[in-house]
Amino acid sequence: MTLEQPLAVRPPRTLAEAAEAHLDDVLGYLLYLTRDRETAEDLASSTFEKALRLWNRFDPGRGSARTWLLGIARTTALDWFRAEARRRKREEAAAPPERVEEAFAEGLSPALEAGLATLSAGEREVLALRVVLELDGDATARVLGISPTAVSTRLSRALKRLEERVNQG
Amino acid sequence: MTVNEIVDELRGARPRASDALRLQVMTIATRPAPRTRTFGERLRGRRRLALLVPAGAAVAMAAAVVIGVTRSGSTGPVVAAAPESTARSGATGEALVAPPTAADAATAQKAAPGPLTGRLQRYSAALSLEVEDNDALSDATQQALRIARDLGGYVVSVHYATGDQGSASLTLRVPTANAADAVTRLSGLGTILAQNVQIDDLQESLDTLDRREQQVRARIAALGAAIDRADDAAERARLEEQRAQARAELRALRASQAATAAEARNATVQLDLQTKQDSGGAVPSSGSRLDRALDKALAVLAWEGIVLLAVAIAFAPLALAAAAVLATRRTRRRHEEDRLLATP
Repeated sequence: MTLEQPLAVRPPRTLAEAAEAHLDDVLGYLLYLTRDRETAEDLASSTFEKALRLWNRFDPGRGSARTWLLGIARTTALDWFRAEARRRKREEAAAPPERVEEAFAEGLSPALEAGLATLSAGEREVLALRVVLELDGDATARVLGISPTAVSTRLSRALKRLEERVNQG
Repeated sequence: MTVNEIVDELRGARPRASDALRLQVMTIATRPAPRTRTFGERLRGRRRLALLVPAGAAVAMAAAVVIGVTRSGSTGPVVAAAPESTARSGATGEALVAPPTAADAATAQKAAPGPLTGRLQRYSAALSLEVEDNDALSDATQQALRIARDLGGYVVSVHYATGDQGSASLTLRVPTANAADAVTRLSGLGTILAQNVQIDDLQESLDTLDRREQQVRARIAALGAAIDRADDAAERARLEEQRAQARAELRALRASQAATAAEARNATVQLDLQTKQDSGGAVPSSGSRLDRALDKALAVLAWEGIVLLAVAIAFAPLALAAAAVLATRRTRRRHEEDRLLATP
């Protein structure tokens, strides 16, 4: 008799299983990174497109599926940031850009929403990974490609800045 | 608002994917995965490179073993140069010098002549042999001593020395009847560089001594008879003095006969052993084929290591440059990412 392990314990057998379990995490991370729901959803789709191509390379022994998917999401987002930077540069030459501020996560207070908007994308991503998605320090370090100590430092700085901005009001 | 309250609020407002996005992503995720790569394809890139190291090591090891095994059987070329012949040709003797390049021990052994039976002969032989290394030198020296004892002989002198080139010099005495056997057995202890056998006939000398003895004995007897017949005291004294001289001569003749017989009784064999010039006398090595194979294999491995080291030294600057380029690219990429993520 074999007992089926829950997905949280055993690695997913298919990408569909991984997507079902971790789509919210991927979307949440991308949402915090880009502050734009539409963009985050596009990037989430692109992330899973890439994941489908790379699924054969996924090795559960080297990390969880969630960490693996978030790593792909980060690469996808960085590509988008690069393209966006080039596009913005071109457009700035013609006319100053207009940024439409909108809520990117439901249920956040306006003060916190405003505070998050003042943080850099780098600060928001460490908040998303460590606080929102509750990844541990090592997993976060693997996704960001930095040391666990650097993750702690970056998180501490981000929380301090966010606290200051929120309380400044 | 405290940090804890911020954290609680952020966790409470965890984003959720819309149904539309979920449907879209599940459509992607349930599509058939791209064709699984074959083993060969998977070996590309880093994995193939990672396999190259043990594969290369295995090839190097196999080459060393093959070379070691295939070359361990040969004992190397026989030294063609032989020392000058030291044969002495006596008036009545004969000297036989083996061909200096005699590589075939069996041939050389057959060439060793023996003394003729029925005649007294002085038999002397000189053998110069080459052995593989110091271990073989020690073995050969001990076997030579054993051969001398087995054939009823003894050792007159032994000089044994090891070093860059080991050597041993033995003077053996064996019964002349066993001399040819001794030469034959000693020849098998190494590669023959030179062989010199000299046989001097002593029978004629001994016959001369015998005849002379008979004459002296007859003279002593005649002198005895003359003494008995002599009346004059002065005459008697003169004859007695002559008899005393004859008896002294007889004793000398007997001593010479005994010395000649002793000379013919035992043969002298001078055996010179030396290790090969390039055997590396200081390096211990046994003569077994397995040991030789191991030695050869280790030598090949050492050479492979030297070549590998040379290649590594030659390519080290290139590797360092490549590593520096990679490190620079990584650092620039990291800086670029930091810059991209520094904006709100």
